[in-house]
This record gives sequence, C-alpha cells and structure tokens, in this order.
Amino acid sequence: MVFSGIPFLYYFLPAALLLYFAVPKQLKNGALLAASLVFYAWGEPKYVFLMMGTIVMGYVFGILIEKHKGTDGAKLWLVLSVICSAAVLCYFKYADFFIENFNAATGMSIPFLRIALPVGISFYTFQLLSYLIDVYRGDTAAQRNFINLAAYISMFPQLVAGPIVRYSDVRDRLENRAHSFEDIAWGIRRFVIGLSKKVLIANSLAELCDVFRASAEPSVMFYWIYAVTFTLYIYFDFSGYSDMAIGLGRILGFKFMENFNYPYISKSITEFWRRWHISLGSWFRDYVYIPLGGNRRSRPRWFLNIFIVWMLTGFWHGAEWTFVVWGLYFAVILVAEKLFLSKMLDKIGPFSHIYAVFLVTIGFVVFNASDLGQAVSDISYMFGRGDLPVVTAETMYYLKSYLVILAAAVIGATPLPKKIITAIGRNSAGQKIADIAESVFLVAMVLLATAYLVDGSFNPFLYFRF
Amino acid sequence: MDKKRKSIIITVIMAVLLLVLSGWCILKPADEFSDSERRVLAQKPEMTAESIFSTSFMTGFEEYAMDQFPARESFRKLKAFNEFNVFNKKDNNGIYKAEGHLSKIEYPLQYDMLEYAAGKFKYLYDTYMMGKENTVYLSVIPDKNMYLAEPNGFISLDYNELIEYFTEEMDYAKYIDITDTLSLDDYYKTDTHWKQECLVDTAKVLGEGMDADVHSDYDICTLEEPFCGVYTGQYTLPVEPDVISYLTNETLEKCKVTIYDSGMPEESFVYDMEKAHSKDPYEMFLSGTVALMTLENPYGPQDKELIVFRDSFGSSLVPLLAEGYGKITLVDIRYIQSGMLGSFIEFEDQDVLFLYSTSLLNYSMALK
Repeated sequence: MVFSGIPFLYYFLPAALLLYFAVPKQLKNGALLAASLVFYAWGEPKYVFLMMGTIVMGYVFGILIEKHKGTDGAKLWLVLSVICSAAVLCYFKYADFFIENFNAATGMSIPFLRIALPVGISFYTFQLLSYLIDVYRGDTAAQRNFINLAAYISMFPQLVAGPIVRYSDVRDRLENRAHSFEDIAWGIRRFVIGLSKKVLIANSLAELCDVFRASAEPSVMFYWIYAVTFTLYIYFDFSGYSDMAIGLGRILGFKFMENFNYPYISKSITEFWRRWHISLGSWFRDYVYIPLGGNRRSRPRWFLNIFIVWMLTGFWHGAEWTFVVWGLYFAVILVAEKLFLSKMLDKIGPFSHIYAVFLVTIGFVVFNASDLGQAVSDISYMFGRGDLPVVTAETMYYLKSYLVILAAAVIGATPLPKKIITAIGRNSAGQKIADIAESVFLVAMVLLATAYLVDGSFNPFLYFRF
Repeated sequence: MDKKRKSIIITVIMAVLLLVLSGWCILKPADEFSDSERRVLAQKPEMTAESIFSTSFMTGFEEYAMDQFPARESFRKLKAFNEFNVFNKKDNNGIYKAEGHLSKIEYPLQYDMLEYAAGKFKYLYDTYMMGKENTVYLSVIPDKNMYLAEPNGFISLDYNELIEYFTEEMDYAKYIDITDTLSLDDYYKTDTHWKQECLVDTAKVLGEGMDADVHSDYDICTLEEPFCGVYTGQYTLPVEPDVISYLTNETLEKCKVTIYDSGMPEESFVYDMEKAHSKDPYEMFLSGTVALMTLENPYGPQDKELIVFRDSFGSSLVPLLAEGYGKITLVDIRYIQSGMLGSFIEFEDQDVLFLYSTSLLNYSMALK
C-alpha cells in the first residue's frame, strides 16, 4: 500500500488512527503492530511471514547478545545474527544478480531463482541490524517485549521506504509516549506537504521522464531536460515519502530523524551526502565506516574505507551494476574532495554549487539507467554524441508543457518557500493571515492531491524497490 | 492565535475532512457506468483467501476505490483545472483544446503498430483477393490533429510518413488521397470523428478513384439532442456540445441494411435512431460497432459491389458511396477474425477499399 493512494488515505489511515487512539495506552503498540501488518500484507501477503520471521530472529538474537554481554558469546551471537540477516537480504534481493554474474564469469547457466523482492526488506533489515549492534555495544538494552520490538520494526509509517529509524531513537517513546495536539498538527502539516510533493510534483516529473524515454525525436536538450527532471523527481518522490513518514510518526507520538535537508543547495558532494538520505548515510557511517576505522587509519586505508562504504551504499539501492557504479562514482569524488577539491571549491564561491548539482545530476542519470550501456549512452548523448539535433519540436512542446512544474520543483527544492513563510510570520498581521491561510492551504492540498489520485495519475514510488 | 489553539483547529479540520470523505467512500452506493468517460466502473472485488494471497483483491480494490470515489467528476474537473490553469500544462491526459476543438495528442508514429496493420491487410489480400479479379483501393483518413495540432503548437504524427508507409507496403492497392477534401471544420469539436454532412466531396473523390458514380443530392437532418463527443468527458472542463446532422435521400431510405454479427442476418437501418439517443449518438451511423454488415441499394448498379474494410469513421462515410454500388459489405476486423471472413464473404470481382483512420493505424493492436 502506498501513502499516496486512495485505499491508504480514505480507508486504511482513518481506520488505523481510530483504532490507535481508541485503545488504552498499554495496547497502543499492539494496535500499531496490527495496523502495520495489514498495511504490509496489502502489497505482499506472503512476505508478512518473512518479516515476522525476521523480527522473531532479531528478538531472540537481541536477548542472547545481551545475555552473553561482555563475553565472546555476545560477539558470536552478533556475528550469527548479522550473517542470518544478511543472508535473508542477499537471498531475496541479490541472488539473481550473483547468479547472473557468476554465469557470465564462468560460462555456466545456473537457473535464476526469480524471487519477487519483498517490499521494504532493505529498510527493515537495516533497522534490525542497528538494533542488534546497539544491543551488542551496550548502547541500548534488549527489548524483552516482543510486541514492542515488532511494532518498531514493522511500524507502517517508515516500513517500506524509510527513513531508517534507529531503535535507540524511538526506544523511550516505544514504551512511553505522550500525544498532544501540537504533535498531531505538526504531523498533519508534514504529511500533507509530503503528499503534495509526491502527488503534485513528483508524479508530474515522472510523467516527463516517461515521455522522454518514449521520445520519437530525441535531442541533446531533451537529454538534459530528462537529467534535470529525474534529479528533481527523485528528490520530490523520496523526500515527499519521508515527509509523510515523519508526519505520520509524529501523529502516532514518535519523532523520526530527518532524512533530507535541501540537498540541492550543497556546494560539494561531501555536503550533498550530509543532506541526502541522511538516515542511510548515518547508518553506514555508524555501522560500517567507523567500525572499519573511518579516517583514523592510514590514508590508503581511509580511502579504501570510503570505497567500501560507497560501494555498499550503491549496492544497497539494488542488485544492478548501475547502483554499484553510482556508489563508486561518489566515492571517487569524495576522495578527490578530501585530497584537493574541497580547497579549490572554497575559492570558487557560487560556482561550487553548480559543480555539486552538475555531478549529482550526472550521478542520477547513471542511477536511473536500466543498465550501464544505457547510462553511458544517456551521458554521451547529453554531451552531443552522434548527430542528435540540439532541440526538436517535441522537446520544446514538453518543455513548455512542464515549465511551471519544473520551475516550482527547482524553487521547492530550496529553502526559499520556508524563508518566505517564516518572514510572513514575523509580523503580527502576517501571522494572523498565515494562521488562517494554513488550514485553508492544508485542506486545499489534500483535496487537490485527491483529485490527482482519483484521476488515476501516474503514481510509482521509486524507493519501494530498495 | 496561540499554538495549542491553532493545533486543535488544524487537527479538528483535518480529522473532519478525513472522516467525512472516508465515511462517504464507504457508504456511497457504487455507480455502474461513467457517462463522461463512457466506460464501466470497477466494482468491489470479492474477498477470498485466494484473491487476497494472489493480491487480485488488493488490485481490484484500488481500482474500485478510485472509480467509486465520491464526487469523482468534480475531483477530475479540479485536476484538469489545475493542470491547465495553474501548472499551465498544454494537455491533460493527452487531451487538449485549441480553436474551440478538443483533441487527443496522437504522437509519435508507432512503427510496430503500422507494421502490424500492414501485415493484417497483406494477410487479407493474400488470403482472399490475390489471383481474383478484385480491385483493391486504400484511403487513409487523417485524424483532426492533422489540421489542428501544428498550427497551435501541439505535436502530431508525421502524416506524410504514415501515408507513404502504407502506400509502399500496400503496393497491391491503389491509393486515393482524401486529405485535400478535408479541413478542421469537417470534424466534430468534441469528438474524434468527422461530420457526415461535410463528407460529400470526400465521397466523390473516393467514388472517382474507384470509378463509381456516387454523385447525389441529400437533405440534411439534425438531431435535437446536443452531442457531447468522446473528448468531452476526458477533458472534464465545460465545453460547448456539438450537434449531429445526417444526410438522407430517397436512395438511402430504400437501402436495405443487414447485420450478421449474431450469426443470423438481422435487418437494420442506415441511421439507427435508437442509437441516436444512446450514450454515443455517433453510433447511429450504420449502428456503430458492427463486425459484418451489408448495405444493398436497389437503385444502384447491381453488377457493382464494394467491400470496405473500415473503422468507425467508415460508418458515416459509406452511406455516401451507396449511390455507386448495388451492394456494399462493411467489415470491421476489430470485431471479427480475419481468418473467418471466407465463411461469410465470397471474394470474386468486387472493389475492395481499405478505409482506415490514422488513429487506428497508429494503435492497430485491436485488428484481428
């Protein structure tokens, strides 16, 4: 089930919220778990059992790790739990990728398993691993209440597309949380903003990307429009989903970490990765990069650590070489920035922003390619390969047709709208207008998003495949 | 306004909105048909263990939830308004408005579709006409984008390329060009089809091309009901409806129309007045979607027969060819297998006309 769908908005969500707020405090996690299982089963009924099995495994391993705390036994149980979790993830997500490449390397023809990817498996596996590692490190106690642990792992707001919520971040609220109108209203605002970003902006941008792929008269300009559109699309799609998840979490009494912080205003790739998919970046930093020694080792080892982390980051996104190359592409740039580029970037002022956006855009062309061949082809056409015309009538038609949405997306990806709203709220007259306008705006956005959903517009969620 | 009060107001407003729409979704009786979109609406799927585990229940429910959403038409209007007036999009779901006409973007040329259609026509020729004394003709009906799109900044098919493709692929047929006989005014403003009352010259050009005398005088009759064409519902915003006129004379009144779709011959009419008052009044012309029918003209030259392979555009044009033939057989291979035609039609020495619109040729998968 997707947040930006009629079944979720007008059937599941009202029922889940009514149940959640109707039951007494001690049953709220049970209600949340029940709602989350229905939510997950809507898309993948059979994989509910896989998720529950993973949670049971994590529950048992957590207790065993804590029981043997301070001994080699704890390490053994941790290693075993990591192997089991990774094995489940590899089997369901990467098996056919490994088989394909093994066959290509050896000339063998081992048949593919053709297993459907369980939705959200990368997200909930990483949440479980963070829990187990935190228990091993002594950062948190093992959760003895199975319902509480299951409610954390399967919590529907962030189950299928993040953000990757750390157990330590929600532990206290899992056991004891308060609900207030301030939190609920904040959550509503955030959810509606995310819904609008997804339905009104991201879906329109996705249409333009599809139009480009079906183009009968491609042009150099159309390749660039596509690259910019996809870069904006993935931000509005994913950050819109994260906004909805964070908003729903707050309505239910949780505070999830922020996942995006205006990544496209970055002036370097290092800064971009501090602002993009923050929950994944910090997960890899805390559970892979730092344990590998981070930057406290020799320079070659430090760079090797960077390459390992970024290769894994790319691979986490999917079982395709394009994702691995995408990850390594950023590793190369990050190493270059650490070696010499960052000093140069400091000197070129606003051009550093163009540098960052340009490299991110090229990266996303690789990311969205169906294979490496298409990635190379797309990028080479962007730079004038072959005899493509610079512009065609088709390119101009779609540019004109999507110009307002593209402009809105560019402005919306910066802090400008927030600054304007904050400025309006600074004087009392403006604040009064803003108070009234906010409710009207929220209702209007919900109705408009509903109108787009009812008309059956294009509505994919890219991050569901991860 | 203090923060808490503001939060309570937002929470209450949004909760009421959610609950009202949710309750309305659950309690609203399901509609069966959408008049504006001319399609059957999805109904609530049956919930069984099998349908749940195969996820067909969920897929069906999602379609049901969208199709049966309360005030659906108003929401569709809101979306269209926003697309055109706020986002400044040039089309909404491919539908656009220019010069008072609604149209659907037909773009780009689908070469696999053209190939498929040409393959079907070649099969018909090879199976039924090759070695016989049939004379085969081809005419391509341009959709109205040919006259509307480019002058108004919209993209459209490369019509010359399409026509050239078929003239080359169908070298067994003589091409009759009718594009010069048509203009934008010859099409309904709210529908894809052309107006019969504007087709007299087109019919003459076709007749001349096939060496048949189709000249005749007609009286124009007009239906009283307004005609909201197929694009009206897709566009959703208010537009002025069309009117349907039809041409008649003594010959057409005496013509005998027989439909063979049920296996048994059924008598029908050149203009089916029952269908003139249906949801798609254009179906009044030769009863609309019919796989196989004949139109016999007792006053026409009885030694001259015509077989027309056609789509819905042919329904309004073919009566204007009646004067030149004793019998016209109309075949729509979207509704009958090409391989079965031998059981119904004896191909001997008739004229055979392939008369298809560019819209169908470019999306030809429906041809059987």
